[in-house]
Amino acid sequence: MSDVLLAFESVEIRRGMGIVVSDFSFQVSSGEVVVLHGENGCGKSTIIETAARILPIEKGQISQHGELVIDSEGRRKLSTVPFGLTLQQNGLVGSDTIAEHLNNMMSICKTKINLAPILKQYSLDHRSNDLIAHLSGGQQRKVSVIAGLLPAMISKSPRLILLDEPDSGLDESAIQMLSQHITSLRLAGHAFLIATHDERILKCATRINNLSHDTEQKPPSGDVWQLPEVEAAKPNNWLMTGFSYNLKTKAGFANNGIAGFLTLGILLSMVEPFELNNLLGLKMGFVLLPAFVAGLCGDPVVNLLRENRALDWWQANTATPRAIIIPIITGFVLTTISSYIFLEELQLIVVVAGSLTTLICSLLIGFLQLSTNKLSRPQAVFIRLLTPILILPWSIVVNELIAYI
Amino acid sequence: MGERIRASFLGVGFVGIMSTLYLGLMWAPSVAIDAFESPAAQKIFYWHVPSAWASFIAFTVLFIGSGLWFFKRSPTGWRLHVAGAEAGLATGLMTVWSGTVWASAEWGTPWDWTDVRLNTFALLTLLALFLVLGRRSQPDGVETRDTFATFGLFGFVLVPFTYIATRFWVIRHPGPVVAAGNDGSLQSDMALVLFIGAISFTIFIIGHILTSMHITKLEQRVEMLQSEIDKGG
Repeated sequence: MSDVLLAFESVEIRRGMGIVVSDFSFQVSSGEVVVLHGENGCGKSTIIETAARILPIEKGQISQHGELVIDSEGRRKLSTVPFGLTLQQNGLVGSDTIAEHLNNMMSICKTKINLAPILKQYSLDHRSNDLIAHLSGGQQRKVSVIAGLLPAMISKSPRLILLDEPDSGLDESAIQMLSQHITSLRLAGHAFLIATHDERILKCATRINNLSHDTEQKPPSGDVWQLPEVEAAKPNNWLMTGFSYNLKTKAGFANNGIAGFLTLGILLSMVEPFELNNLLGLKMGFVLLPAFVAGLCGDPVVNLLRENRALDWWQANTATPRAIIIPIITGFVLTTISSYIFLEELQLIVVVAGSLTTLICSLLIGFLQLSTNKLSRPQAVFIRLLTPILILPWSIVVNELIAYI
Repeated sequence: MGERIRASFLGVGFVGIMSTLYLGLMWAPSVAIDAFESPAAQKIFYWHVPSAWASFIAFTVLFIGSGLWFFKRSPTGWRLHVAGAEAGLATGLMTVWSGTVWASAEWGTPWDWTDVRLNTFALLTLLALFLVLGRRSQPDGVETRDTFATFGLFGFVLVPFTYIATRFWVIRHPGPVVAAGNDGSLQSDMALVLFIGAISFTIFIIGHILTSMHITKLEQRVEMLQSEIDKGG
């Protein structure tokens, strides 16, 4: 008896002001390819994204591999079994190379293989070290599709693969290759839920579902997927992934560091340090202000992941990478420099306070950014209106540290 | 009928507010010269305190509406959320503006970033501004409503916090003079004007909330009709 890898039980989903899907129940078992096929706006992408826990549900519950992953009470749990996901908007970060993005996926699966043969099949082997941002739209789509298929390609156990319009933007040969992969992975026991209009992908289906009923179909035959040589990969770590993104893109410096240094420069342009000798409160405020301003610029990794719905891709698969290490370093550097300038000495407690100020402020702003991520236009919302509350605790810290001058 | 009720609340409330202003400036006794740095500026009190009281009502409506939408998907709840946010913004700005004018005269500075009461109240007002501006920047939908309702629910924790701050963290903003037990006291004429102000602002804010809810209902009806046109109906 085949395992049920995905189960929707009486699910109701709202998008905008309408109910897109109502009382929807269905299952995808290992060895099945279920294609969601219907007119535009009927809810195909909604089903895929809800199965990946990206969208909330109004009623019912969804399970993966028998584990509850989301229900209408707001409970959400990451599946302990990795699954593959290809979103319509790719979910890629332009600053990653092809190899880096696919290595991220493999580290989430804790297994790795030699990617060269697979990349060659999609004519990407010569581009594996190129930045995703430098690829054409079609090449980026191929990367997104490969990342979606990888959990099945590197696993002996059945895996669930969710593909939203995978054919979109692919050339003829890539679609043929994708069809072959779907068939061979199905025969190896993996399960697919695919939203598509493409006839070639439709032919791979064991069932076609138009959201109201299922139609069984005889799928094509093919060769069973041969598992390549696998080895264990270091598990993905959100802290190190965030650090790596930050270091690679210098986002922390561009987003936060420059603001801190600008603040320091502006302060120096207004006053000579010796003029503050008798103004202890002001002096300490000047020392900690650059670190504070740097923190107010928010989490640079969260900003980075906003492109192409990469944030949704990460949140669906694993914990969201965050910037922790670089903000601490930024705060440390800014406070050290401002201490030398305004205090003419280095006090460890002041430098620690500056480092923590940058970290805590950037984490809080990042939290606010994440909380508005589900909006249609998250960049248009005035989230920074809520940041002035941070001035109060900052001023309390400044007052407390005056004793150390 | 509904329109008359809304107009009555707004009208009576407006007249009451203007009367409060007049009574406060022209009739209410001045405070003792040694009690305040700027006794003349103290008269802003008759506007400042009632508007703060009205803002707490508005934020409570915001909280109730947010809860009704978030847990019950109630359309009335969403209208309460919108009305509460707009009323909270209006009254919050009135409180902050009148407070800064008074503070400039009384304290020599319009604001104190170390005062808990001032900063938590400012954050409530900014939260209301965030909700009003944010709603206008997003298409109406479950995701938008859920996100802003969440902010409305969590932001309400600042209301009791702001109120308690007048008792436990008196830094610059003075402690309560009404319902303060033995610590506060108000002369009867001053209390009368303050009471008129509180009633007037309450009536006005109820009218404001009812009107806002009606406008939101009309907006939703327009949206529904436009959707029907989009479908070719």
